[in-house]
Amino acid sequence: MTDPDTLGVGDRVGLVFPARGDLVVLARLVASVISARAGFDIEELEDLRLAVGELCLLALQGSDARHGDLQLEFTVSADALDISCTLVGAAPALQPITEDGDEALQLSEQILAALVDEHGRHQDDSSVRAWLRKRRRGPLA
Amino acid sequence: MTASGEDGPAGSTVEREAQENTPLPPDNVERDAMITKHLGLAQQLARRFLHRGEPLDDLVQVASVALVKSADRFDPERGVDFAAFATRTIIGELKRHFRDKGWAVRASRRVQELYLELGHATSTLTQQLGRNPTVAELSAATGADEEAVIEAIEAGKGYRAASIDASESEDDPISARLGHLERGFDIAEDRYLLDPALATLPMRDQSILRMRFVEGLTQSEIATAIGVSQMHVSRLLTSSLEKLRRQMGPEPAQ
Repeated sequence: MTDPDTLGVGDRVGLVFPARGDLVVLARLVASVISARAGFDIEELEDLRLAVGELCLLALQGSDARHGDLQLEFTVSADALDISCTLVGAAPALQPITEDGDEALQLSEQILAALVDEHGRHQDDSSVRAWLRKRRRGPLA
Repeated sequence: MTASGEDGPAGSTVEREAQENTPLPPDNVERDAMITKHLGLAQQLARRFLHRGEPLDDLVQVASVALVKSADRFDPERGVDFAAFATRTIIGELKRHFRDKGWAVRASRRVQELYLELGHATSTLTQQLGRNPTVAELSAATGADEEAVIEAIEAGKGYRAASIDASESEDDPISARLGHLERGFDIAEDRYLLDPALATLPMRDQSILRMRFVEGLTQSEIATAIGVSQMHVSRLLTSSLEKLRRQMGPEPAQ
């Protein structure tokens, strides 16, 4: 990174916070700053703010919100921003997704499908990982 | 694992495909039932856009109309899930709503206005409380949610001149980029050029400039001395320096 006000190709930013819904605001704020500095326009920035919130909700599904951390990683590439959100340290508390949770999960998936170019979610016995990719309309700042 | 890469963002493949299909007739019972069943979805999606400063009622209305459009365009024969299709359409319409209202321009203005409002609220609350207010208190005073307050504080810094940003750096308060200005103030105080410019500022602003650049007090120390918040001092310094710079700067080339 040469310009202190921008993020360039390959730049990564990490954020870790307790896996609680009320702290998802942190992810949205960081996503705003990173999107702006990675050259996304204001509409794309708002899409990413919304999307990263859904990403966190996807990762939180299946946890009981009393264990673990949400680990976010933002990676700037030549034409996109990749964000991954992993629920870590919650293995003993990972829950099967309930019917309500499934509905919430589906809604988040549908919202992500409308806001970003690619997204996904993977859950195994020890962690949950959700990710998204949003391509930039304009050139890299 | 799922991926939506083939469909792309809102308003693309699925929506276009559905538009090309035969819609359900407007008086179709199935269509009405679909709309009724998904009104909650429209409301939930509208709520997701609340932080952009539009009233919830307006957003729900836009989302509900979009839901009806979704039902009109939806073709069950295509095997596409209605909720997924409607979500794309509703989000597309909500985004269009903001675009049509020139939201991008208004958004930056709104942040600037909130930043100014926060300055006033900070001063008032500091005097009332006898201490700097918390974000929660600023949120209550301005009616903006806490996230918006934090965002406005952060964004507000970006609206200032670059040299003033530097003056607020925690590591190197002012010397790095305003250092020569400080020396300039020392020297220029006795010069005819600065005196008239300084004299145009209110006495309080002159005092603050003197405390900051002559006596070397920090913004927080000045804030304590004159009984306002650090944020308010910062804003006054920014404003004063900009006025001085305008008055003392060279005439633009013709």
